[in-house]
Amino acid sequence: MSSFSMPAAESSARRPRRLLLVLGVTLIVATYVFLVILQPTELTGGTGSAAALVSLGGFLGGGALLVAGVLPMLTTSSLVVMPLGIALNIAIGQLAGSLGLQIYLDAIGTVLVAVLAGPAAGAATGAISNAIWGLFNPFALPFAAGAALIGLLAGLAAKYGLFRRLYLAAAAGLVTGAVGGLVAAPVAVFMFGAAGSPGTNAIIAVFRSLGDKLLVAATKQGLLSDSLDKIVVFVLVALILHALPRRAIRQFPFARTR
Amino acid sequence: MPRRRIYNPLTELLTAALLVVLVLVVNRWEVSLAVLLLVVLPAILLSGRARRIGLAIAIVVGPLLISSLLLHGLFFPEGERILLDLGFARVTVEGLAFAAVMGLRTSVFAGVLLTAAMTLDIADLVATMTHCGWNRKLVFIVGSAVGLIPQVALRGEQITRAQQARGLVVGAGLPSRLRALLAVTTPLVIGLLVDASERNHMLEARGFSARVPRTSYRPDSDTPGQRLFRILLTLGVGAFCLTWIVLVVLT
Repeated sequence: MSSFSMPAAESSARRPRRLLLVLGVTLIVATYVFLVILQPTELTGGTGSAAALVSLGGFLGGGALLVAGVLPMLTTSSLVVMPLGIALNIAIGQLAGSLGLQIYLDAIGTVLVAVLAGPAAGAATGAISNAIWGLFNPFALPFAAGAALIGLLAGLAAKYGLFRRLYLAAAAGLVTGAVGGLVAAPVAVFMFGAAGSPGTNAIIAVFRSLGDKLLVAATKQGLLSDSLDKIVVFVLVALILHALPRRAIRQFPFARTR
Repeated sequence: MPRRRIYNPLTELLTAALLVVLVLVVNRWEVSLAVLLLVVLPAILLSGRARRIGLAIAIVVGPLLISSLLLHGLFFPEGERILLDLGFARVTVEGLAFAAVMGLRTSVFAGVLLTAAMTLDIADLVATMTHCGWNRKLVFIVGSAVGLIPQVALRGEQITRAQQARGLVVGAGLPSRLRALLAVTTPLVIGLLVDASERNHMLEARGFSARVPRTSYRPDSDTPGQRLFRILLTLGVGAFCLTWIVLVVLT
């Protein structure tokens, strides 16, 4: 009897999860549409009070809903690797800084978890990683939805075998970086006036001197910097995976089948 | 010396978050400055870790403020009142005002959240999350990641020194630096995955997947009074924001 009742119980448990995922994605898309398509005009005249609040609440709330929908789906083997990915994001991000690299490399852990444990684990790692990083660096907090998107896309790239060849991993990194840059730009503009590192601000300054609006300049900068960053991250993760012993990969059901 | 903890971590984090929301909604430089001087500064001074928090805020916010001032101060095509024309760049009144307002708001954002986070006891926060019945998987990830960060950084440093002893030289070019990063990252990831595999078996053996309520060995620092305060504070700030947006922003 119980074998017959199990699938029904499972499908009824899946419904609220799907609802949370749909709500999370809808909130993120709606926030992006409000900020970019409707373009609040108050930014250059003032600093966009409603836009900043929508940016923070929409992307952070969307990321939280995604995490709430994804977490119940994850197995213990996926869960134990997620803190590792979060710690790697922060530690390698700092290491990259100490080696004097001009790119962030703060998504290596997210991409690695996505490739080993799947898109859902990757998305949750990205969002939670930025939330925890926010305890040390509050500027990371509003970018949680973008980080979740990077984890999701990296997992999808792994699902379709794009990490088996370096050039395919680089192409996937380019696309993921472009999408990540597009999502991050309005957050950077409406929350912090697009202020960032001297390197990224120099690129924005070039576009601003050509007469671009702040949002357009930040989007172009995001497309350039994030694409380059994610190409390097995806290639690095593909090389790390290539060097990993099969025993280490085999413990993850998702990676075993890819 | 760190101050004695009076409030539950959730109460402190929520108060900080709602203060940020208020500053974003009101969006006046006078309010940002008042919050910075009347709330953030006293909170830092009374925290018992004033030097550490002040240094952290300076390291995090300082470069961003300088970047913002250079970016908007020199490149603000919407600006009409020109103070200095350098040809490739123009210093405008509007650009400087924009940089100042954004800088103040950013300082409040970072100041409030960093002060709350740096006076926070993470173990206490994780225990509170368990007592409040938060998702056990989320509690595990947060607690475990916070504990792992210093370990991963330390192991990364040890591997870097070991690789340097074996002849790793970091050159000036990007390819050389990326090769160095790969030489450090690969053994780091392999070691961490082996640890993760052992942790997986240990968690399964101790019933991590079971859907029974969890027991925390730390006492619950939350009180009914603080729970009521959090609800009233959220409702109050929500009502204020709604009124402000309708009356001031939309009219």
